[in-house]
Amino acid sequence: MIELVLSLALLTLIKATPLIYAALGGVISERSGVINIGLEGMMAIGAFTAVIISYATRQPMLGLLAGVAAGALAGYVLGVAATRFKVDQIVAGTGINLICAGGAAYGLVLIFNQPGASAQVPALGHHYLVLVVLAFIAALALHWLLARTPWGLRVRACGENPAALASAGIDPLAMRLTAVTISGALAGLGGAFLSLGELNLYSDGMTAGRGFIALAAVIFGRWNPIGATLACVVFGLFEALQYVLQGRISWLPADAMQALPYIAALVALAGITGKVRAPASDGVPY
Amino acid sequence: MKLRRTLAGPLGAIILLVVLMSLAMIVAGTSPLDGFAALFQGALGGTSQIGETLVATSALLFPALGIALAFRGGLFNIGAEGQLLIGALFAGAVGAQLHLPGWLGMIVLLALGALGGGLWGAIAGWMKARFNANEIIATLMLNFVAAYLSLALVNGPLRGPLATGAETAWLDQRYWLPTLLPGSRLSIGILVALAFALVLYWVFTRTVFGYKLRAAGDAPEAARRAGIDIGRITWISLALSGAIAGVGGATIVTGELHRFNTQLSPGYGFIGIAVALVGDLQPLWICLAAFGFGILEAGGLAMQASAQVPKDAIHVIEGLIILVLAARRYVAARTETAAV
Repeated sequence: MIELVLSLALLTLIKATPLIYAALGGVISERSGVINIGLEGMMAIGAFTAVIISYATRQPMLGLLAGVAAGALAGYVLGVAATRFKVDQIVAGTGINLICAGGAAYGLVLIFNQPGASAQVPALGHHYLVLVVLAFIAALALHWLLARTPWGLRVRACGENPAALASAGIDPLAMRLTAVTISGALAGLGGAFLSLGELNLYSDGMTAGRGFIALAAVIFGRWNPIGATLACVVFGLFEALQYVLQGRISWLPADAMQALPYIAALVALAGITGKVRAPASDGVPY
Repeated sequence: MKLRRTLAGPLGAIILLVVLMSLAMIVAGTSPLDGFAALFQGALGGTSQIGETLVATSALLFPALGIALAFRGGLFNIGAEGQLLIGALFAGAVGAQLHLPGWLGMIVLLALGALGGGLWGAIAGWMKARFNANEIIATLMLNFVAAYLSLALVNGPLRGPLATGAETAWLDQRYWLPTLLPGSRLSIGILVALAFALVLYWVFTRTVFGYKLRAAGDAPEAARRAGIDIGRITWISLALSGAIAGVGGATIVTGELHRFNTQLSPGYGFIGIAVALVGDLQPLWICLAAFGFGILEAGGLAMQASAQVPKDAIHVIEGLIILVLAARRYVAARTETAAV
């Protein structure tokens, strides 16, 4: 019994980790005023690039860094669209998701000559548990950054009242561009964790909506890094539960259990009615 | 002058598309000439190819029209994929058991598609209206719930005898939608899609509901003060949006596949977003946009098979078109402001 609880706890933390990185990206982006619906695609391109670079160099650490860089690049593109061109953020994010998922699938066929999944590549091995711990440290660090540093104050001002920030001589568009780029880097790290940490390959659709669940966690955690992290742990628990419950509960088919994290996110969204307030200029182009 | 501005967008998009596609082909080691030849040969090179293009057109048109309806009301329905799937599931599940005259059965199955998709959209609408839950995330989550729910059902109680994959039993031949183009798979489902486009055009431009929808989307606060019940508009428009996508799912089942299969949509609900945007949320332009994307979808498969260019390149290009078209709208707006 104790063994079961412990393995469930560990699995929960592992499953929560990619969600946490993406959700922290979501928090920083939304606090600056940009809704990042492209987190899903940024995770995918991060996961894919990490595998490609690890395959080419046989260095999983380089792969991890490349995954972060690829996510940051996708974040930068979304940031430019949302700031310089004032593209509707949801529309632009949807475009980013199509580009990243399609790009990864295209690259998969070009490089590995097979659709669906890559070959197995050198992965992080047990080192990936460091990334689990790091996720929680990152949450605390981001909380401190946002709440206690001048830079964090500017990010928050940018999401609440960008005009006020501009009148203080700081360019809100540059702030947003930086925030969304960091957001993409974090999502890319989450993706690389999936492909090189938990696994050792990339397969189409492996992010499975985690970027979107992370967005739900941002709202459920009330745009606070710690709150979002706790929400991710809850969603991670539901993901872990299905592995533990499989074979133990006969009346609920395994396919239906896979829907658990998504249903949990839906219930969470509905359950926080009236108690949340997004940053005032979240999603509003400046 | 005005004509030039109207044409500049679509023309720019087409030029961009050709350049990017050429690039994707060169990277894949194929000359663009061969690549485009394969694409157009595959999309328009014969009766069965044209049929496939129109099958994709129809499958994209339904979700795109539904998405346009919701977007006009200021609601981001990113859940057309799930709504289409549930509509198809309803039609497939009941269709395998139905005992009705053929024509009545077809109507019942399409109506069930509307019911399933409408229900799926209404869940998100109700959550938004009742709990102020973000509809973007709600509709996205419901996509995944729809996928796993249908998988569980089709791997379980609804699995057809002799099915090799996640499929229901075959529909009785009485309920198959008649073929529109002999020598191809194209059914009269596309006529239903076009009828929906005409009806929506009328609804958007000539009805009180269309006006309220636009008011709720463009200026919700003003609409509320004018006595429009925003909550009601919210769930009704998401339900209708889902219902249209659901009918699309039902036409795929009754028109082309003749049974439900969990793999029946290669992302029509997501590409439908691009179609709706390229069509500027106007039903008649959306028909044209759906045809363009239909060529890409059908031709992409052929391009992959005969010119070895991965068809996923198409999705990258579709995503870029979304980005560029949305950016263009800003540039156009800025030029107009500058002119004043």
